[in-house]
Formats: sequence, structure tokens, C-alpha cells
Amino acid sequence: MKQKKMAYYGKKVLIFLFSVLILSITVFYVARLAPGDPLVSYYGERSEKMSPEEREWAMEKLGLNEPISVQYVKWVKNALHGNFGISFKYKQDVTEVIGGRIGNTLLLGGIGFLCIFAGSLLLGIVCAWQEDKMADRILCKLGTISSCIPEFWIALVLILIFSVNLKLLPSSGAYSTGNAGNIGDRALHLVMPLTIVILEHLWYYAYMIRNKILEEVRVDYVLLAKAKGLNKKKIMFHHCIRNVMPAYLSIMAIAVPHVLGGTYVVESVFSYPGIGALSYESARYHDYNLLMLLCMMSGILVIFCNIVSQTINEQIDPRMRAEEITEQSEVVEQ
Amino acid sequence: MTERAFELTGIRSIQETVPEKKKKWYQGKPMVSVAILLLIVLGCVCAEWIMTKDPTYMDLLNYNKAPDREFLFGTDTMGRDIFSMIWYGGRISLIIGGLSTVISTLIAVIVGAFSGMAPAWLDEAIMRFTEIFLSVPSLLLIILLQAIMGKATVLSLSFVIGVTSWTSIAKVVRTEVRQIRNSEFVIASRCMGGGFFHILWKHLAPNFFSAIMFMVIMNVRTAMMSEATLSFMGIGLPVEIITWGSMLSLAEKALMTGSWWIILIPGLFLVVTVLCLTNIGNACRQQANRRESNL
Repeated sequence: MKQKKMAYYGKKVLIFLFSVLILSITVFYVARLAPGDPLVSYYGERSEKMSPEEREWAMEKLGLNEPISVQYVKWVKNALHGNFGISFKYKQDVTEVIGGRIGNTLLLGGIGFLCIFAGSLLLGIVCAWQEDKMADRILCKLGTISSCIPEFWIALVLILIFSVNLKLLPSSGAYSTGNAGNIGDRALHLVMPLTIVILEHLWYYAYMIRNKILEEVRVDYVLLAKAKGLNKKKIMFHHCIRNVMPAYLSIMAIAVPHVLGGTYVVESVFSYPGIGALSYESARYHDYNLLMLLCMMSGILVIFCNIVSQTINEQIDPRMRAEEITEQSEVVEQ
Repeated sequence: MTERAFELTGIRSIQETVPEKKKKWYQGKPMVSVAILLLIVLGCVCAEWIMTKDPTYMDLLNYNKAPDREFLFGTDTMGRDIFSMIWYGGRISLIIGGLSTVISTLIAVIVGAFSGMAPAWLDEAIMRFTEIFLSVPSLLLIILLQAIMGKATVLSLSFVIGVTSWTSIAKVVRTEVRQIRNSEFVIASRCMGGGFFHILWKHLAPNFFSAIMFMVIMNVRTAMMSEATLSFMGIGLPVEIITWGSMLSLAEKALMTGSWWIILIPGLFLVVTVLCLTNIGNACRQQANRRESNL
């Protein structure tokens, strides 16, 4: 039994490593094959006036004139030693460039995620409790509307209302100049981006959990519990929600990269110094090393969260196990 | 006497069917949404007859004007009449939404059906591939694809959005196909020598069509929203090509002057269109017959 478990987790790790490998090769090749001049990001405007010899020399210096496969092997070797190269644009170690900004994104994404996690659970329960009554219907309508509004537009509208007209909240940045350590100031700058991150995702997950609970409420054991004389509250919270929780956790595991990735647009509208804006820049200006690390980070997060959610599902419900499903279907075929 | 031999003991009582009240044809259908959407689409198609001004003409004397009798929705920071731009630009927004959905649906159906019909190992490989494809941030993918395709045009942008948004439909198609791939009619068709595409269009597609209908409509709205987001961020269509998204790319300037009409009006049109599409999509998703709640 123990061995089987080891093999099970070993297989997960293998799948994870293999996916990461494929992802890294794909991103490496696609980034380098995409037309564009990487020298622009290093030398700026000057790169256009360079003579062919100078270009040759610069490419050599940055290690860009070797075949891509050789570059890739070199990159992997260095990366395994923790050396991810320098950013062409910032002329700093990529880890430093990212390190300076990742905190902001984690703050925005992290708080956003927690709010979404708690809020959608709450909303879902409220909607399921009041199924097809007024409150449920109003919430559903509002939710549908909120899911139809592009996030950049609602950001603009909020800026228009709160910054331009009411002058209550700052419209950009993570803190006002000279106030980097001031927590109140930072919080004030977080209000609007955070609202948008939450609004954009909240309903999607709330609706999902609402439907999950509604399905659960129609299972036979609920009838039994009711016949036994338990009241609605007890059945709902002690039985139904408890049964729905694992499925919810697995959904939320997939939601982590979604929420973090969803900060991209918000960051660029509010010129909030996070890694979303950084990835956009690096892809646009061919800052290869920076791009590579950022892609790997988000890719690893996605793959990892997917595997976690799959594992949760399989642990709760052995029927979900992929290989058994295929085995079963093969039995049927024979 | 002979009848006794045939007497049934436990006859199931025949349920009396209460004649249902005849529903009017429009009941249970999102008529309001359909009407509004039709109105917007019609307005965009017949833009030439509605426009009061030339939408591309930059009237430098009247730039950044609030809505008034001459300029119904005001003018933008480049002096173009927003009322005319809405109808004229909506056309391109709608075309991008439709075109990219066609592209993504095509890819999704082919990949999903192929994966569903393939042997288990190939199926597994394809599904892993789609997962990896999903894990590359789509914004990054779009930027890279745009760089490869050169200057953004309506066609290239729809292609890029289409290519990056097929995965979820493909998954649904795959599950549906796996369920029906061993049905007699598919096997019979195969025995008679039907090719992959013949089986796909004649036998599989009609079966999963209703399952993906909802997602296809949702894709139209996602495509329109991504077009707007991309154009707004300056990676999509340039300001000269008028769409609802590129109209919003002037928003930064509008914020500084506090001209709300430049931001609100194109956005409202986008949101209303998308909302109508969502309502129609929701109605398309066949309401599963819910049993009475046990609670």
C-alpha cells in the first residue's frame, strides 16, 4: 500500500517535471523565433545606428548568435545553478528585478484571492439558501452583469468617479512618492485595484459553488436527515457544505493562477509596479532572460495548481482517477 | 375465464396528464436581449444611414466636446464625432467577435473530436498539450503572435484571439465524443469506410452541437472583450481603425480632462452587447430539469 502511494506521488512529480520541461522549451523557442530586435531593449535607440560589426559584437556579448538549442542548454545549466542571467533592459540580475516587484503583485493577488475565496463561498451559500427567491435572483442578475464588464473599463470608470471627480483615491502607483513605508498610504492605493480584481472573479466562483450546493441539496441523504428531524441550518452547514468543500478547494486551487494572472490588466491601468506590467514589457521588448523567468514562474504555478487540484479530486473521489477511467472504458469496449 | 390468465396484479397507475397551458412563443426566451442586440447589430450594419458625421473626419475646431445637439455623444480628443464612430466602429467589433469565434470553434471541434476518437495514450498526450497551452499566459501568447503577424489588422487580431481561446470548447467536445464514439451509428459509418471528417460532420457534430452552443456564444463575448482590452492596452488595433476598443484607448487623455463621455459611451455599448449575448447564451443552455429540493 505504501509503495503504491509512493508510486502515485512519484508519477505526479514526473508529470510535473515533464510539463515544466516542455513549457520551458516552447517559451524559449517561441520567444527567440518571434521577429524583433533584442538589442533594442539593451541599447535603446542607439541600436538602430549600430554598424553590422558592432551588432555582431553585441550579439556575441549577449550570447545571442549561437544556435537556439545551444543557448537553451546553456540557459538550463545556469538556471539549475540559480543563475537566470541579466535583464537586458534593467541591466540587473533578473531575480533582483523581479524581487523588487513581486511583493506588490503578491499583496494585490493574495488579498484579492483571500477575499474571493471567502466572498464567493459566502455568496454561493446565500444564493443557494434563498434559491429562486428574490435575493437569489437579484444576486444572480447582478453577478451576470458584473461578469460582462471588461475589467479595464470598470477601472477607468472608477478612476473617473473616485479620482477625477471626487478626488478621494489616488489613481496610480503603489504609494505616493516618499511614502514607501507608510502602510495607510499603501492601503489607500490598493483600494481600487483590489476592488476590481475581486469584482472580476467573485461571481464566477460564487455561481459555481451555488450550483454545487444546489446539486448536493437534491441528494437522498438530505431527505433522510430531514426525516430525522434536523433543521435546515444544520443539514446545510453540517452535511451539504461539508460535502461540497473538497470540490470547492480543488476549484480554488485552479483559481490561484487565474487571480494572479488577472492582475495583469489592472496593474497596467493603475500603473501599479507589479510583475504583470513587467511581463508585458519583457515580451514586448524581447528581454529574453526576464521573459523566460516570468513565464516559468507563472507556468510552474499553473501546472502545480492543476496537479494539486487533480490530486484533491482523486483523493476525495477515487472514480476520478484517470487511468481507472480508461481501464473501465477499455473493459466496456472489449 | 381466459381473461384471468392475463390479469395483471400490479398495474402501474397511469398518470393523468394535465394539459399544459399553451405557452406563448416568446415566453421563456430572452426577447429583450434579442431585441436590443438586433437593434445594435442593425444599427452597425446600416451605419451609413444613421451616421450624422464622417466618423474618420477629425474636426479640429470641435475636439473634446461634451454631448450636445450637434454632436449627440460628443467628440473625442481627436475631434471625431462619437455618435458616428459608435455605429461605424461597432461593425468591426462585431466582426472580430464573430470571426475569432468561428476560428476558435473550428480548431476546438477538430482537436476535441480527434482527441476523443484517438487511442488513450494519444488522447492523454493531446490533453496534456492543451493544459500546457493553457499555462502560457494568453496575453503573452497574443503579444508574441502579434509580433509574428506584423501590424495588427482586423483579420490578424481575430486570428490571434481565435487561436488562443479554443481549449475549453475542445475539452467539452472531447468528453462528448468519448461518450458516443462507440455508438452503433458511428461504428457502422466507420465500417462503411467513412473518413474522420465525414464521421465528424455527419454523426458527431449534430450530437455535441447543443452542448457547445452555450460556450460558442460565450466565446463571442470573450472575443469582443479581449479585442477591447488589447486595443485599449495598445497591442490591438491602432486608433485609426475605429472599434469600441480602440475608441477607449483615448481614455488616458480623457481622464486628464475629465471627459466622461469618451470613456462611458463606447464602454456602455460594449457592456450592453456583451450582456445581451450572455443572456441569450444562458437561455441556450438547456435548463436541466431540476428536481424538487430535498431541503
